[in-house]
Amino acid sequence: MSNTSRNFIVAYVLLVGLPLVGLAGVLRTGRSLVAPISVDGVWKIEGDASRLAAQPCAKSVSSLSNTSVVISQSGKNLVLTFNNASKTVASGTIDGKSVKASVVLTRDSSDNGCGDQPAAWTATIDPKSEPKSLSGALSFNACPSCVPVEFHALKQPRAAGGGAH
Amino acid sequence: MPNLFTLVLQIAVVLAACRLVGELFRKIHQPRVVGEMFAGIMLGPSLLGWIAPHTSAYLFPTSSLGFLNALSQVGVVVFMFLVGLGINPRELKKQGHAAVLTSHVSITAPFVLAAFLALYLYPRLSDDSVAFTNFALFMGSAMSITAFPVLARILAERNMLGSRLGTVAIACAAVDDVTGWCILAYIVVLIRSAHSSTSIWTTIGGIVVFGLIMIYGVRRLLRGYERVYKEKGELSENLMALMLLLVLASALCTEYLGIHLLFGAFLMGAIMPKQRHFVRYVLDRFETITVTLLLPLFFAFTGLRTNIGLVKGPEMWMYCGLIILVATAGKLGGSTLASWLTGIPLREAAGLGTLMNTRGLMELVILNIGLDIGVISPALFSMMVIMALVTTFMTTPVLALICPKEFLAREPEMVVTRPATPPISLHDGESQVA
Repeated sequence: MSNTSRNFIVAYVLLVGLPLVGLAGVLRTGRSLVAPISVDGVWKIEGDASRLAAQPCAKSVSSLSNTSVVISQSGKNLVLTFNNASKTVASGTIDGKSVKASVVLTRDSSDNGCGDQPAAWTATIDPKSEPKSLSGALSFNACPSCVPVEFHALKQPRAAGGGAH
Repeated sequence: MPNLFTLVLQIAVVLAACRLVGELFRKIHQPRVVGEMFAGIMLGPSLLGWIAPHTSAYLFPTSSLGFLNALSQVGVVVFMFLVGLGINPRELKKQGHAAVLTSHVSITAPFVLAAFLALYLYPRLSDDSVAFTNFALFMGSAMSITAFPVLARILAERNMLGSRLGTVAIACAAVDDVTGWCILAYIVVLIRSAHSSTSIWTTIGGIVVFGLIMIYGVRRLLRGYERVYKEKGELSENLMALMLLLVLASALCTEYLGIHLLFGAFLMGAIMPKQRHFVRYVLDRFETITVTLLLPLFFAFTGLRTNIGLVKGPEMWMYCGLIILVATAGKLGGSTLASWLTGIPLREAAGLGTLMNTRGLMELVILNIGLDIGVISPALFSMMVIMALVTTFMTTPVLALICPKEFLAREPEMVVTRPATPPISLHDGESQVA
């Protein structure tokens, strides 16, 4: 074996072989990492009708608690897009099983007192249920006459079809 | 049914934006493709959707994006066929040990560094629906890819295709791309099989059989194309149509087998005859429409999925910076180190590393697949798109700094020694390179 070939083999083992061993170690180590619970996808929300009726701004609240929401997840950060008339978008976070988002409610002309104020959308996920479910409440800190509206949401199955997009 | 008015309006807007921004980028000595990638992002939520949301919603209503995507995917299928057609891994053999080592290190270095980075990013930018192994392997393959077509274009523009640097870079990029796509195919199979009733071994078995049929069966039949071209100097329209049908059939097979349309198209290109004039002839027939019409739609569609607004706050920008740093250190650093260790002078080695760090359009193709199969999140997708833009944008100025024209003139081994007919000179967004 010539010197060139020997050097090549040594260099190859050091620069390619060893890193691959390192890669195997990384993949092994990474298995123990814990990522946030997945909430990415479409959720169908159902609000508590009895609480809703008691709201001074039932229409506005209903647009967030009786609809579907698309949650786009990047780690702990969430973007929620409600499928209501104004396509309300909110940003939120997931911490453990707790999901929190701050939503600015769009004023409905027939509602009084609830428009353009922030609402807290908080929920707890049950990751073991099939499909996954969220239980939580929509509350208005700046509206003394409003009561929190409880809701329950079920994750919808992903649309079938693979391929590109 | 698509709203034809909306679709045609979208195509017109996309073409105009891509041409305009592409031309502006050419003025600053950047390949047109970089400008087109920027144009795509400008049309998405990162700029147009941010400053003029109503115009954006009118031009690109969500309901219409499926049609735009379908058109763009047809373009990418043809593009991947052309990429496969243009690469010739045999070039690597001619370059000897240095190129083999450089090529393999230019894959393993960014791959391993990306896997280390995945340890940090996984809990922060992923979720438990994605296994760490898939996440790390995807990050690795996304960071180790090289934009072979853009690289060829940059070399052609700098008259370096025949130089030692140029030939080694082309050979390494070809190997990188083939390897990167093989790894990606494996990841796609892993992820899709988890949601499929077909066992992973059936899928892998099917892919192996398909690959063997293509390499040992179809490849021989394809030599007939080269024969006809040699005899007549051209191919009939029927033969060209048949070629396109074969590309689509191969793409459909790989999609059916559970990988992706693009792998079949790429494989069909890779097993086509590699006689230089034949390759050039086929490229000329396909590239104009692909490059000028269909690929800009892909850039636009990618831009519409890229929301730089998701990268908000110092923490997210730090992740983005880390991704760019690791991608550059792995690819540029790894290639430079390996080629320097094999005896290439440091400056030339750094030039090679810079070229290998070009990711361009190939990166966008991979990232879109990653987003589709859910292995990366929208924010990470946006960060990786920024990384692709930065690493592609930096190539030309950094190369000019490391290997200025005066340096090329001084170094005899780097001067073009044979006619600069690129092995592939297409689809970097600049069509019809002579």
